Amino acid sequence: MEEVDRILIHSLRQAGTDIDEDVQSVKQFSSELIVQAVVRCLRVIDPAVGSGLSPSLPPGMSARFRVGMSLAQACQDLGYKGEIGYQTFLYSNEPEIRSLLMFLVEKLPRESAEVSDQPAGKSALLQKAIAAQIKAQLAMPWLPPSCRLPLHRKTQSPGPCHSFRAQPLSLPYSLKVPAKKQSKEVKEYWREYLLPVTSQPSQAASVPASLLENHVSELSAAQEWENEWNSQGLLSRLTPEDYRSRKRMRLQKRIEEQLRAAAQPRPDTHNATRSTSDLSELLNSFAGATTGGDVLTKGTRFTHSEKFTFTQEPEKAAQQMAAAASALPSSHQSEEDLKAQQEAEFTALQQQLQQLSVQMEEVGGDIRQLTVSIHQVSDELKQREVHNLEKENTIKVKKQTIDLLPDAENNLIKLQSLVEASSKRVVHLASQWEKHRAPLIDEHRRLKELCSNREMESSRKLSEIKDLHDKIRQSAEEAKKKESLYKQLITEYETLPKDVSRSAYTMRILEIVGNIKKQKEEITKILSDTKELQKEINGLTGKLDRTFAVTDELVFKDAKKDESVRKSYKYLAALHENCTQLIQTIEDTGSIMREIRDLEEQIETENGKKTVSNLEKILEDYKAIRQENSALAAKIREG
Amino acid sequence: MLKLLDKISPTECPKLLHRVVDWICGRSHPKRIEYGATWSLLEWGELISSLTYFFRVAVGRKCSDQELQELLGDLESVRAEAVLQCVRARQEEIRQALVDRTNRICSTQLDDFNWQLKLALSSDKLSSLNTPLLNLCLDLTENGLQRAVNIEMNKEELNTLITALEAANKVILQMK
Repeated sequence: MEEVDRILIHSLRQAGTDIDEDVQSVKQFSSELIVQAVVRCLRVIDPAVGSGLSPSLPPGMSARFRVGMSLAQACQDLGYKGEIGYQTFLYSNEPEIRSLLMFLVEKLPRESAEVSDQPAGKSALLQKAIAAQIKAQLAMPWLPPSCRLPLHRKTQSPGPCHSFRAQPLSLPYSLKVPAKKQSKEVKEYWREYLLPVTSQPSQAASVPASLLENHVSELSAAQEWENEWNSQGLLSRLTPEDYRSRKRMRLQKRIEEQLRAAAQPRPDTHNATRSTSDLSELLNSFAGATTGGDVLTKGTRFTHSEKFTFTQEPEKAAQQMAAAASALPSSHQSEEDLKAQQEAEFTALQQQLQQLSVQMEEVGGDIRQLTVSIHQVSDELKQREVHNLEKENTIKVKKQTIDLLPDAENNLIKLQSLVEASSKRVVHLASQWEKHRAPLIDEHRRLKELCSNREMESSRKLSEIKDLHDKIRQSAEEAKKKESLYKQLITEYETLPKDVSRSAYTMRILEIVGNIKKQKEEITKILSDTKELQKEINGLTGKLDRTFAVTDELVFKDAKKDESVRKSYKYLAALHENCTQLIQTIEDTGSIMREIRDLEEQIETENGKKTVSNLEKILEDYKAIRQENSALAAKIREG
Repeated sequence: MLKLLDKISPTECPKLLHRVVDWICGRSHPKRIEYGATWSLLEWGELISSLTYFFRVAVGRKCSDQELQELLGDLESVRAEAVLQCVRARQEEIRQALVDRTNRICSTQLDDFNWQLKLALSSDKLSSLNTPLLNLCLDLTENGLQRAVNIEMNKEELNTLITALEAANKVILQMK
């Protein structure tokens, strides 16, 4: 019972009842405590019912009676089957109170248990975390900025002011080039001059941003490459380097086409001529790049513009210098003269400039015309050369025929024999070729078959590899998911209240279950013993009956003949009767003993009900009620 | 102007060169205070601009060693060797910086972006809102001037943005 009481008291405390530390069992509960416990439980179970009841007993006796009645009614409404009335609360007896409290505790809603059974959703977790954080921040007092400790700075500062600014970093190890292949100079740079990564950016605040940026760019590049390689690269059956170079070629060709389409010459604007010439130059460099293979492509435009600006500037500077030099000696002349001179000079220079630009344009047009004509002329030249070669060949043939003409008949015969011989040779060669050809064709077919077989095999393997890749990705994802679940569960486990009583309860429950098992075993043992005994008794009575019957018969037969035997028969009958009586008496004693025990138990339970003290209490309360009644009656009379 | 490099000690020279390369690659400018005793302000400016020009030309044109020697002119051999070493060591980085510069062909470029995910718990009208909001911050360079653009989006707006970006990405993939 102690165990049960402790559990009851624990759950009553959780429901909000104020139970003293020294109260250890239900026996020690006073009426006030009982009423308070019941009201608290009712409030938790059904707030609508419980809110109408007060947890403390009023001093007036009739009010107490009413409270007891309403509590009993509420408990019956909840479905309590046992006997209950005002007396249960006012004149308590232990077993009744215990059963009532057990009923109420069982009815208590188990929110916490239900919540912990469900897998907590992510949003719920997040909300909980936010709530906890806000609560913690609210609990912390506000401090003026100068008094803040680093602990407060995190929550009470206005937040990070610097924006996310990444700067390129120089790192010794990157995915693009393996470290071993780097040249000596690069390694020396790493060793001697490379700053640590934290001091590379100009502001300390941008260190994490830069690092993150660097990492993300490398990661995404690697991922993209892997994706592309898995989807297209593997199918192309090339090595990664080949695939890359082929892709580069393709892209270059595409860009070139686009630029060519955009750079169609537009003669209407003056400015366009420069840009188109620039672009065509660029295209030429592209052509060079494609033939050269791995050549920096994107830098070319830059270098050209660089060249352009840097070649222009010195000229300008020289002009300015010349102008300044010519201006110097005339400094002593009057200002007007100087101005006029400067103006004249200016106009002259402008004229010169215009002339020069016109000349430039003319010369440019000339150059273009000339380049076109040069192209034409070179084409013509080539055609002529080809023509010449053909003519030379025909001249050679004709010369030979003319040489052969004088001895025409002989030569004709010779020629015919030659032709015949060569035709024979051709036939011979053809037959030989046929001989060779057959096995070669066979070989070719065989190889072709082999090749197709291999191809099939390789495509099969490719698909296998793809499957494997998919599987790897899937399992990686699964592992990640499981890991996160594991982490969540771990955190949940850590946040769970480390209630010792819980484990103690389970231990106790297990112990109790073990005890019950033992008891059950013992009971079965005793039962089997009793059964055996019963059997033995039955067997013995049967044997006795049979023996008696046999003896009776034998003795009865003899008794007819012999007087002394008749006597012994009488004794036998008497013995039998006495023995049955004896057995009867023993059985009666047993049953009486049992009754006695029952009665003793009943007495004990009756004693447990504190009848005497309760009766005294009832008497007192009765007197109190009578007094109250008489006082009321007196009041009425006075009124 | 590279001749000015002769004024510095041979041990300090590579350090300065590497800082100049760092500057080309988009990190902080080498500090003049550290070299204030060696060069005047004018000389410093000339030296830095000529060095940057030299590095850009050397890597952009993929000059051979001989061409580089010609570009360096009559620089002392120890310093010339240091410059060559620096070019060889940092070639890839400078190339990358030049490529980035060439890519900046538009008038407006995106330098950086940052995003914050916020959960609006409640508003002045509703006690429980629970709406996720995305704060996207774009650092732009517009005609040489830096400008920050802040956008706050809810779920639908973010979806619209993402579909637009995906469509753009598809076009780029087709180009490939």
